[in-house]
Amino acid sequence: MSEMIKLYDDSKCTACRGCQLACKQWNELKAGQTEQRGTYQNPPTLQPNTYMIIHFQDYASPEGEIKWLFRKEACMHCTDAACVTVCPSGALHYNRELGTVGLDREKCIGCKECVAACPFEVPKYDSKTDKVYKCDMCESRITNKLEPACVKACPTGALKWGEKDAMLQLAAKRVEKLGGNAAIYGDQFVGGTHFMYVLKEGKDVYADIHKNPRVPLSVILWKKWLKPLSLLAAGGVVGGSLLHYILHGPKRPDPEPGDEVKKEGRK
Amino acid sequence: MKPKPGMIKATSGYERFVHWMLAISCLLLCYTGLGMMFESLNFLGVIMGGLKGLKVVHNFTAIIFTVALILAIQMWWREAGIFVFPEDWEWIKAAGGYLWKVDHVAEVGKYNPGQKMFFLTVALFGALMVVTGFFMWLQPAFLPIEALRWMYPLHVLGFVVIFAFFFIHLYLGTIGSPGSLPAMTNGWVTRAWLKKQHPKWLKEMEHEGTLVVYKGGDKKKV
Repeated sequence: MSEMIKLYDDSKCTACRGCQLACKQWNELKAGQTEQRGTYQNPPTLQPNTYMIIHFQDYASPEGEIKWLFRKEACMHCTDAACVTVCPSGALHYNRELGTVGLDREKCIGCKECVAACPFEVPKYDSKTDKVYKCDMCESRITNKLEPACVKACPTGALKWGEKDAMLQLAAKRVEKLGGNAAIYGDQFVGGTHFMYVLKEGKDVYADIHKNPRVPLSVILWKKWLKPLSLLAAGGVVGGSLLHYILHGPKRPDPEPGDEVKKEGRK
Repeated sequence: MKPKPGMIKATSGYERFVHWMLAISCLLLCYTGLGMMFESLNFLGVIMGGLKGLKVVHNFTAIIFTVALILAIQMWWREAGIFVFPEDWEWIKAAGGYLWKVDHVAEVGKYNPGQKMFFLTVALFGALMVVTGFFMWLQPAFLPIEALRWMYPLHVLGFVVIFAFFFIHLYLGTIGSPGSLPAMTNGWVTRAWLKKQHPKWLKEMEHEGTLVVYKGGDKKKV
C-alpha cells in the first residue's frame, strides 16, 4: 500500500456534521453536554472525546458578501510529526504503510508532552483517564482497507480518502476550478500532512487555522541537540575525572609527622 | 566508619540530612527522567511497573526535591552562595591546585570557589527544574502554548548541566579528594584533610573556638 491522505474540500461542505457524528460513533465517544453559544459550532474546540469538529464562521468577503466558511478540524497527520518525536512511550506512532499518525492508548502514560509539542494543538488530555486522545484516522479501518468513518459518512463528497498523488492532483484541479484565492492547505509544511484541505478562500481568512505550522524550534532543540548532549556531557566529565585521577592524581592531605606520632602513641 | 580521636567535626547532622535528601531525590529524578527520555533506557521503568510508574515516581519525587532544595539554599547560601574577593579569585586562577602544579593555593573559607560554583549551579538550575517541571506537569491554562513549549528544552538543559556537574561532585567527594567522604557520612574529618582542603576555615574555627574535636571513649555515638 502507498501513502494515503484524506482531503477536505470546504467548497463542497454543507456543515451537516455527519462526519462529526460518524467519528463519535466509530470511536465510541460519548457526547458531552453542549451549550448554546450563539453558533452551530459545538463543542467550541477539540476535546478528549471529540476528535474532530466542523468550524462555523461568518465571513464578509472584500466584495461585501456575507458567507459561511466551514472547516473540519482534526489531527493533520504530519509526515514530520512533533508528537511522535516527543512521545516517550511510543504510543504515538507513524503508520509505516499509510503515513498517518496513530495513537496506541494502552502505551500512553499521560505525560502531555505531545499536547505542548503539536503545532496544530490537536492532542487533548483527559485527567480522568490520565491519557491523551486524538484522531488516528480510524487506524482500525484504514489498515483493513476501509475509508475513515468521517469520509464514509460524508454525503457531498467534501471528504475523500485516497492515494496521496491522486488526491493532490484532484486538489490541484479543484483549486483551479474554484479560482480566486482558493488554495491547498497541508502540502507545504511539516513534510506534508496526511489530512489536507482545499480552502475556497485561502488560509488567511479562516479563524483559528494555523497559518504557518512547523515543528516547534523548542522540540528540535530539545530532542536533536540537548538530549544527546546530556549523555555526551556526563560521559565527558566521567572520562575527564578518570584522566585527572591517572594523570594529575587526587588531592591528598599532606602527611603530618606530628599526627602520625600521636596516632601511633594512642594505639 | 567510626571516627578516630582527634578528628574534627565538619558538618552537622542537619546538614547531612538535607544533603542526602537533596542527593537521593535528585538521583531518583535523574534515573526516572533518563528512563523516560531515552527509548533505549525504557527498561529502567521495569522496577516501577513500566513507563507510567517512572512518570508517577518522577512527579512525586519532584516535590521532595523541591523541599530539599529550599532547605539547602536556606542553609548554605550565606556560606556557599557568595564569592569573597580577592582570595576566591586567586583560588580560581590556580584552579584550586587541581589541574596543574601550584606551589601555593590561595586559602579560602569554609567553601572553596569550586564548591560555591557547584552550590550555585544546583540552586539555580534546580530552581529552573522545579519551575519548568511544574508547568510541564500541570500545564496550567494561563500559560501560552509558546511559553509552555520552551519549558521542555529548558528542563533538559537543566538536566545536562546538573547531571554532568553531579559526576564532578561525585569524583571530588570520593576518590578525587581522599578524606572528603566522611564529611557527608559521619561528619568527622581529619585535621590533615582540613589543613589541605580548608586551611582558612580550620584557622577560623581555631580562632573562634568553635572547633569540635572527637575525643573518643567518652562519646560512644555522635
